[in-house]
Amino acid sequence: MPAVVMLVVGLGLSLAQAPAPGSVDAKLISEFKERVNQYLQLREKVAGSAPSSTDVPEKLAESRNEFSNKIRAARGSAKQGEIFRPEVAQYFQREISATLNGRYGNDIRATLRHAEPVKMKVQINQSYPENVPLQSTPPTLLLNLPELPKSLEYRILGRDLVLRDSDANIVVDYVPNALPGSKQ
Amino acid sequence: MSIRSKTVPLAAGLIALSVSLAGAQTQSRPGLRIPLQKDSVRFAVIGDSGTGEKEQYQIAKQMEAYRQAMNFDFVIMLGDNIYGEHEPRDFEKKFEVPYKPLLDAGVKFYASLGNHDDPKLEASYKPFNMNGERYYTFKKGDVQFFALDSNYMDAKQLSWLEQNLKSSKARWKICFFHHPLYNDGKMHGPDLDLRNQLSPLLKLYGVNVVFSGHEHAYERLKPVDNIYYFVQGDSGKLVHHDFHRSDLMEKSFDRDRTFMIVEVAGENLSFQTIAAGGDTVDTGTLPRPAASVKAAAANK
Repeated sequence: MPAVVMLVVGLGLSLAQAPAPGSVDAKLISEFKERVNQYLQLREKVAGSAPSSTDVPEKLAESRNEFSNKIRAARGSAKQGEIFRPEVAQYFQREISATLNGRYGNDIRATLRHAEPVKMKVQINQSYPENVPLQSTPPTLLLNLPELPKSLEYRILGRDLVLRDSDANIVVDYVPNALPGSKQ
Repeated sequence: MSIRSKTVPLAAGLIALSVSLAGAQTQSRPGLRIPLQKDSVRFAVIGDSGTGEKEQYQIAKQMEAYRQAMNFDFVIMLGDNIYGEHEPRDFEKKFEVPYKPLLDAGVKFYASLGNHDDPKLEASYKPFNMNGERYYTFKKGDVQFFALDSNYMDAKQLSWLEQNLKSSKARWKICFFHHPLYNDGKMHGPDLDLRNQLSPLLKLYGVNVVFSGHEHAYERLKPVDNIYYFVQGDSGKLVHHDFHRSDLMEKSFDRDRTFMIVEVAGENLSFQTIAAGGDTVDTGTLPRPAASVKAAAANK
């Protein structure tokens, strides 16, 4: 378990047990992180560093578009499930289900309902539409999923779990129906 | 930071003109109230502001009138700073144009992110003073501010918050973020899962005040765990008749858009909530809670 999580554990908050080293789940997490790193290495190679701060809105849009277009071009043939391989996707579904059935399950469901839920068809490499709100991801869920590097994030879209590149505003991969259908 | 001088786009110019004309009829001269003490920390609060519509401009006009009367130095933004598209024209119409008099006067804006914001674009937009980060802290006098991203409260952010609260020597600790931990609004209500993970830290490390938006109305709550909670998500958007009554509610207002002016001086925090028409709809002075004093001492 990463050090950052240990501090939070100190407050007695609900976290899933980290898989035992060498277990099947630990290997799936390791594989997932490896594929995430491969994505970031590719991103660095084709697009360089994320756009930097500016007080000129035109530059914000320009540099974001340039950055994301380079990544899209390099991943033109990317398919759903390349990072969330089927076994990895099943691990995520199990973790989400366990979290929703855990101590804070009802509160997480309430948070999801109150967070202006978004329903739209997800596609790899698509930009998340700017005029659609980004649904917040329940914190307890985040604490129970493998930690991501700074520029990537998990987002819930309907019942799908999306891996989003927040620097490029690109859907990198997703798990369809990651959230159970009942009680939603 | 200076905002570029430029020709105001036609659409934004027409809105500014229409607001100016409307404002001439409705705006009243600010009545001074906040204690206005020397060497205090005085700032404004806006939430859910970035619509680009005439009501946002009316609030902005009142803010400038109060700045001229009271001279606040900075503004904290509670998220949904730019609704809808995030094209260059949106940053102009929904931020740079309405608040131009404030920006020109050197007032700094410190933004937090809402669910309608684009995290990367807005964190990289220098006039929001986020330094490229989704969450950050800054200090003014005896007050340390913690701007949080309640859309994505992951382990990294919780750990960062814990470390920074723990090491803070500030007399007052103020957190601001978009999703309220407590509120009686019918539209969204409190974010219960966020509350589960965040409130233990706020309590343990002696946070004194929390400002949130998201609910398109104004509410002041009774202290919870010795923390004062304000919800102020109506500086652009507004939802009328948006409240359940509850034991936690101290004051609510949903008949007009508002902004707040807050002044921290010594052991007291004064607040004044002002509607678009210029009326003060809530005001008071709150002492720093005793438990916060203990928590701060214990964590030193």
